[in-house]
Amino acid sequence: MLGLWIILILACLVGAAAWAGKHRTVKAIDVAGLNFLTPIVRLCYGEEPEKQLKDIGRFIVVPVIAILLFLGAWHVVSEKIQTKSGKLPNPRDTLHAAKAINDFHYRENDKQAAFNLNGEERAQELERVEQRLEELKPLEAEVNKNVAAAKEAAKERLATKVAPLQEELDTLTAKFKDAKKQRDDELASLASQAAVGDEDAKNAFVGKVRAYRQLASDERDRLRDLRTEINDMRAEKDPEEQRALAEQTAIAEERQYLGKMQDQLTDSNRYEKVDEENAKLQEARETLYAADSATILKAATKVAQTEDRIDRIEESGYAKPATLPYQVKRSVLCVFVGFLIGSAIAIPLGVLCGLSKTFMAAMTPFIAIFKPVSPIVWLPIALIVASAFIPDPDKHWFTQWLWELPLLGEYKINPAFIASAVTVALCSLWATMVNTAFGVAAVDKDHINVARVLRLGFWSRLFKIVLPSALPLAFAGLRISLGVGWMVLIAAELLSSSEGIGKYIWDQFNNGASDSFANMVFVVFVVGIIGLVLDRMMIVFQRLVSFDGAPTAI
Amino acid sequence: MNPHPDKPADPRFVEIFNLVKAYPNPYGEAVRVVDGYDLVMREGEVVSVIGHSGCGKSTVLTMVAGLNEITAGSIAVGGREIDGPGPDRAVVFQSPCLLPWMTAFQNVMLGVDRVYAHGTKQQRKEIVEYYLAAVGLADARDKYPREMSGGMQQRVGIARAIALKPRMLLLDEPFGRLDSLTRMDLQDVILNILDRERITTMIITHDVDEAIYMSDRVCMMTNGPNARVGQLLDLPFARPRNRAAVLEHPLYYELRGALVSFLEQQDHRVPARESAQMEAGWDDTLHMVEALNETELEEEPIDETATHTENQLVGAGV
Repeated sequence: MLGLWIILILACLVGAAAWAGKHRTVKAIDVAGLNFLTPIVRLCYGEEPEKQLKDIGRFIVVPVIAILLFLGAWHVVSEKIQTKSGKLPNPRDTLHAAKAINDFHYRENDKQAAFNLNGEERAQELERVEQRLEELKPLEAEVNKNVAAAKEAAKERLATKVAPLQEELDTLTAKFKDAKKQRDDELASLASQAAVGDEDAKNAFVGKVRAYRQLASDERDRLRDLRTEINDMRAEKDPEEQRALAEQTAIAEERQYLGKMQDQLTDSNRYEKVDEENAKLQEARETLYAADSATILKAATKVAQTEDRIDRIEESGYAKPATLPYQVKRSVLCVFVGFLIGSAIAIPLGVLCGLSKTFMAAMTPFIAIFKPVSPIVWLPIALIVASAFIPDPDKHWFTQWLWELPLLGEYKINPAFIASAVTVALCSLWATMVNTAFGVAAVDKDHINVARVLRLGFWSRLFKIVLPSALPLAFAGLRISLGVGWMVLIAAELLSSSEGIGKYIWDQFNNGASDSFANMVFVVFVVGIIGLVLDRMMIVFQRLVSFDGAPTAI
Repeated sequence: MNPHPDKPADPRFVEIFNLVKAYPNPYGEAVRVVDGYDLVMREGEVVSVIGHSGCGKSTVLTMVAGLNEITAGSIAVGGREIDGPGPDRAVVFQSPCLLPWMTAFQNVMLGVDRVYAHGTKQQRKEIVEYYLAAVGLADARDKYPREMSGGMQQRVGIARAIALKPRMLLLDEPFGRLDSLTRMDLQDVILNILDRERITTMIITHDVDEAIYMSDRVCMMTNGPNARVGQLLDLPFARPRNRAAVLEHPLYYELRGALVSFLEQQDHRVPARESAQMEAGWDDTLHMVEALNETELEEEPIDETATHTENQLVGAGV
């Protein structure tokens, strides 16, 4: 799989290099900020092969080795960390969790599609599902058999492994019991010989009691250690048994999914339900037409109720649970909404601050006080305010209008979403504001002189001289803002329960299923990679607007 | 030759009278960089202002441009005292000062939009293209400054200035950062335009040959601080200028000699204030010794680099 991707990327590179020419490809790579690919392109053109190979070694091979080392270290460390939620997931568990998340997403999509299928397509799909169910039956039986066999084998293996220890435990227990009895008898006989006033003998007796107590304690410890060892062995999961169980789970999950599909294609299907209701409606109508003055009201009500129900069914959709890809998309949407709100505030204020020292002086206290405020503080306030404006998103005109929109509607923007976006805006706008102000204030004096000689008016001075020269710095600020916004957003979603990556993490933390821990670790990578992509995107924008063509830091 | 053939050229088109520029000095009296500068320019005349670096040439030019406040005195162009910078006095700076986010065309258009606000878009476009062609950049109109050489950038700067149809053109060491071949090209570009348009021009330079070749009159400035006009030199060469004709002119070497000797004299001159104090009879023994030392120095062979360092020191003092 990974190999395929690498080959595909290489093929694209070679194709691009052949089609667009070396310099244009290298330039495109540079603009996209993927400079580690440059040596490959140059190597294709045979340019200083030794240097290119060295660069490939440094910028591709070394990072890959570092990643492999990291995975190895992770694997080793994860074995050592035991928590209440199970062992720290190792790379394989995490990959497995990623696959499960992916499967869940596609299966939910299938179910949704099945709910909306009708006619010939529905019949075909149903046939496919039933066929697969038939196929699964022997597989399931085999897997069940495998599991039983694996369990049996594991039990046997355990028994042979435990047997010598158990034997040792049994013999030791018996031996210690005898020894204790003997010591007790000895002490009893000594006690019977005791005489009044013989201090030395009595002190010696105390010493003996103490020594025997110590012996008994040592023996207890020895037995306890043995028992713990045996228990640990029993608790240890047999890898083969685990493998068999995982197969069983996979098949059970697929069967469950197929069962649901079957249901969505038959009884729960929208058109099926509508047909059913239509039949009822027909019946009700007939009753209505046959009714006399005594029963007409009841019959008419029935017709009206059935008609309403049909309307509702036709409007309804499949109640699809949020899957991670959906939550990721909603988070990205949320961060951009917040980022846009923040930029819409920050850029004009920043320009004003840069233009006027007086305005800057007026803004400085606000920047100084609000900049360090944590998102955790902003969020509850934003949530209260957003909820005050939109008390009931199901009835408010604004949310209703948003839900009707073609592409946005899917994401069901609600007060929690708005509060998260506003929090992102409040936390991220400072970097843009300060950088824009700095960029505007630092316009080259020569350029200002040009504007003075031409006697440019305020607006043309602003749009032709000041803003273009402030643009690179403003974009540097926007890049920082987006990065900050993405970090803030996860926390905001987690707290406000706005459907998104943050909420996914919180849900996983709370539900404590066996795979939750691995899911959370996987989400760490999802968040990181999206943050990286957002940052690269901003770098590309920054490069496109920087007029001097200066290379931007990577 | 004259922009308004029916009107005679105004002999006092530019009047600079007793111009002073002083910078405040927290540890004493204000430093008067330029002190009592007087100059009258005929309409259409090209005057070079020459002097050692740091003597205040550029200060005079920026004051005429209106970019620098005047401490005392007055500057009048076309009979009216100037009031801040304006497109009637176009400036070509030493660095081209092009806006890097605009193409050559857009850079020139920036000023044209402003000056020909009443013209149609097509007319303005034609004006820009005409001036770009005049500086030899017809093919480079869509290039960005970063894609052009220093010489090409300076050509755009010249086109931008000339396209404003200024009453006065101010060139602040416009070729100072160019190599000598490019410099000769650009000198001819400017001379061609001046022959056609007859704009009253002030050129700041420290190149003696450039001053002789380009101008009708050379204004030699004394060393700063307290710089003023030291000497004016009329040049007899006809327009349009021809480099070979100028070089072969019988008076060329004599004029050049006069300029160079003035500059050399300035090099070893006692600063203005000290000489004034000496004239006032302030003849302390110590100063006598200093004066003697200076005469001794004068006899030493002149080392180019040494004079340069000294000039820089003077410049740093200003």
